Amino acid sequence: MKERIIWVLWPAFITAAVTEMLFFAFIDPGEIHLFGNPLELSKTGAYSLFFFFFWVMGACASALTCFLQRSPFELNRCPLDAGGRPPGCPKRLGGACAIDQG
Amino acid sequence: MASEPSDASAMAHSGNPLKVVRPLAGQASEQDLYAIRQKIYPRAVHGWFAAWRTALVLATQLVFYGLPWLTWNGRQAVLFDLVERKFYIFGLVLWPQDFIFLTGLLVISALALFLFTAVGGRLWCGYACPQTVYTEIFLWIERMVEGDRLQQMRLDKQPLGARKVGLKVLKHALWIALALWTGFTFVGFFTPIHVLLAEVRSFALGPWESFWILFYGFATYGNAGWMREQVCEYMCPYARFQGVMFDRDTLTVTYDAARGEPRGARARSIDPKSKGLGACVDCGICVQVCPTGIDIRKGLQYECIGCAACIDGCNQVMDKMGYARGLIRYSTENIVSGAVAADQVVKRVFRPRVLIYGSVLSIIVVAWVAGLAMRTPLKVNIIRDRTTLVREVEDGRLENVYRLQVMNAQERAHRYQVSVTGAVPMEVILDAPLQVPGAATLTFSVRVRAPGETLKRGSNPVQFHLTAVDDAAIAAHEKSVFFAR
Repeated sequence: MKERIIWVLWPAFITAAVTEMLFFAFIDPGEIHLFGNPLELSKTGAYSLFFFFFWVMGACASALTCFLQRSPFELNRCPLDAGGRPPGCPKRLGGACAIDQG
Repeated sequence: MASEPSDASAMAHSGNPLKVVRPLAGQASEQDLYAIRQKIYPRAVHGWFAAWRTALVLATQLVFYGLPWLTWNGRQAVLFDLVERKFYIFGLVLWPQDFIFLTGLLVISALALFLFTAVGGRLWCGYACPQTVYTEIFLWIERMVEGDRLQQMRLDKQPLGARKVGLKVLKHALWIALALWTGFTFVGFFTPIHVLLAEVRSFALGPWESFWILFYGFATYGNAGWMREQVCEYMCPYARFQGVMFDRDTLTVTYDAARGEPRGARARSIDPKSKGLGACVDCGICVQVCPTGIDIRKGLQYECIGCAACIDGCNQVMDKMGYARGLIRYSTENIVSGAVAADQVVKRVFRPRVLIYGSVLSIIVVAWVAGLAMRTPLKVNIIRDRTTLVREVEDGRLENVYRLQVMNAQERAHRYQVSVTGAVPMEVILDAPLQVPGAATLTFSVRVRAPGETLKRGSNPVQFHLTAVDDAAIAAHEKSVFFAR
């Protein structure tokens, strides 16, 4: 799980840095309007918050990629270990399950 | 994923079934961000390549830490002023309109990287990359505090005691101090550094400046103190694709297996041939000095950052043994396989791939420099006044009103004269002289009058001409329209 977090955050950080550069090369943060009103933020604040916004959006894309990338094996796997399965479960003893051994 | 051994995950992601060697088994292992990691204790190395790396560490850091303190024309010489949206680079002032030059610079950097990589492998990674440079500096501090490689390993195995805690605290305090200074310098490229220093001294640092100093400082501390080779192995996109720039004539750090094998320990006095041995004494120095912990004798691996520490290490051993240097050296796949003679190495540099990279790079550099040199330090935007399209003045002529946005991209003030040309003679009436201070943009209201009877109804094309009074070379020409009725 710890590895997943860094796999999600790091590529998002790189793309956020590039997006920030491209976006603000063309747009002056002083000219951004929110619902018709100018942003009540210093330019430094706008640069910073937009960077985090880009980072979060990039992280969403990376996280979705990680989520959709899971194999059928991972999706079908029983979350309980062999001993903890309810009585009568065919997978109860020794985890003798075709899917689990996939 | 979590249970996969590091070897398997490295293979899966590099797409290249390279065996990852972990030569320091038995050391304390750390569960780190990417994979179970054994701490690598690179042994200090001296030699020609290590000296080059030290020189580059000093040169790059002198530039990085020193540049924000230089002044030019009474302001910071290099300042990327994001709030004013102006980049000052010595005598040059770049505006958002000059974005093309930044793009050009990035293209030039990328192509230069391709060129250097095709010729000499990962020269960037081994000598100039900030990750390498800061790791090197952090290793110096580590060695200064904890001692050499063996002393560090011994210290880490010791139970926690006063001495160990003291040394660890001292090391981390020095690391953090350097990291914070690095963060401060980084922010000093975007906020005038003297102002920043005064703010730090009076504890009046703005929230965002504080945040970015801490953020960059933390990244430096984490990457150079803790992550180290993992940044190159798992995080760096360039490390993954640099292989495509390699070919059989690329100079890489290479172990001469034909000369070295069979490896084995021997006394200095004996002739290795009599024992059936090659030149490699199997001392393991090449592995101990490697900052990524690989064994170069297993061939080129994607973890190799091309730092040539193993070359320096091995050469020292060869000297001690009285053997020829260069058992590990910069060589090419073609030379090692015998396809190309060793004296052809320079000639082979001038191969199509290098010539193409080189010529594209030269063309772009020339175009970039020429573009920058010929850039007119004056930009004009003409906005027609929307309230009154056209009106008739006392003498019967028609008048249009324009707003001129004049951007003076030079640092000294200029006064401009303006004229307008069209199908008929046009008169320009200024409310105020077009005087613009250095590196500033001002907007002026300009009225233009023309005899209406000779103009067609509707819009008539006109052209505005602005010229600096003190320098006729600074001129701008902008199109607009004159409405007639």
